[in-house]
Amino acid sequence: MVLFNGTLAAYGSLLFASWVPHLTGTVLAIVILLALRPRRVGGISRPPVWAYLGGVVGGVTVMLTSATMNTALALSGTIALGLAGQMLFSLFADIRGLFGLPQRMPKARDYLALALIIAGNLVLIFLGGAA
Amino acid sequence: MIGFAALALLAGVLVSLSRQINGRLALSTSAWESSFWNHIVGLGFITLIAIVFGGLFAGAPQDAPWWAYLGGPIGVVFIAAGSWLIARIGAAQTALLIIAGQMISGVVIDIVMGMAGNAFARIAGVALILAGMWVARSAKD
Repeated sequence: MVLFNGTLAAYGSLLFASWVPHLTGTVLAIVILLALRPRRVGGISRPPVWAYLGGVVGGVTVMLTSATMNTALALSGTIALGLAGQMLFSLFADIRGLFGLPQRMPKARDYLALALIIAGNLVLIFLGGAA
Repeated sequence: MIGFAALALLAGVLVSLSRQINGRLALSTSAWESSFWNHIVGLGFITLIAIVFGGLFAGAPQDAPWWAYLGGPIGVVFIAAGSWLIARIGAAQTALLIIAGQMISGVVIDIVMGMAGNAFARIAGVALILAGMWVARSAKD
């Protein structure tokens, strides 16, 4: 997905590379909803209005990364810091049970898994490219 | 520089935030419906930004290969999967496994497309990530 969208960005603007997948994605999502008619699992509970705003947050993300990619951080720094932010906030959200999702306390093993995967990412991001 | 680093960090926080919001919507609806709302609301938002700031069709997007347009359909499955997972295995596990899958498939795509790279670093990086996934998987009790 990143490769396809990144290829679009290489030819057009970053805005275009985010706009097109949202457009084609919306069309496919409508087709899937019509074809599968997934059951509303929540029954009578109505989702809060803010639950519909995930797409806005995603749009802001694209703008932030397109801004930082062209600074001294470059793509590798942007990705590494982005992964760090994603992991830290995910852990925080689990511990606090934010946004109506189940609360979870990470165990020692979860932190070990985290350390191993972060280490692997850092090796790939900063050493994996051509020398 | 510190400011840009903070923005990059914030972008990561927003990725996680967006997944949690979509996950909450999926709790009351379904993963597919949550993915639909994520895309159509995002489309509206980006269209608004494009109208205000312009530049949507800058460059030569018509020259991009046809397969570059497959990102959207893949994204629909990606958002639906994330919305489904986060309520079941938690935000941290979901993020960890998505990141692991991204990095490993990134290495595979680089190799398939013939991108130059340090073979030792690639092997070491993928091995570390696989070890981490194995530890995360066995954490269930």
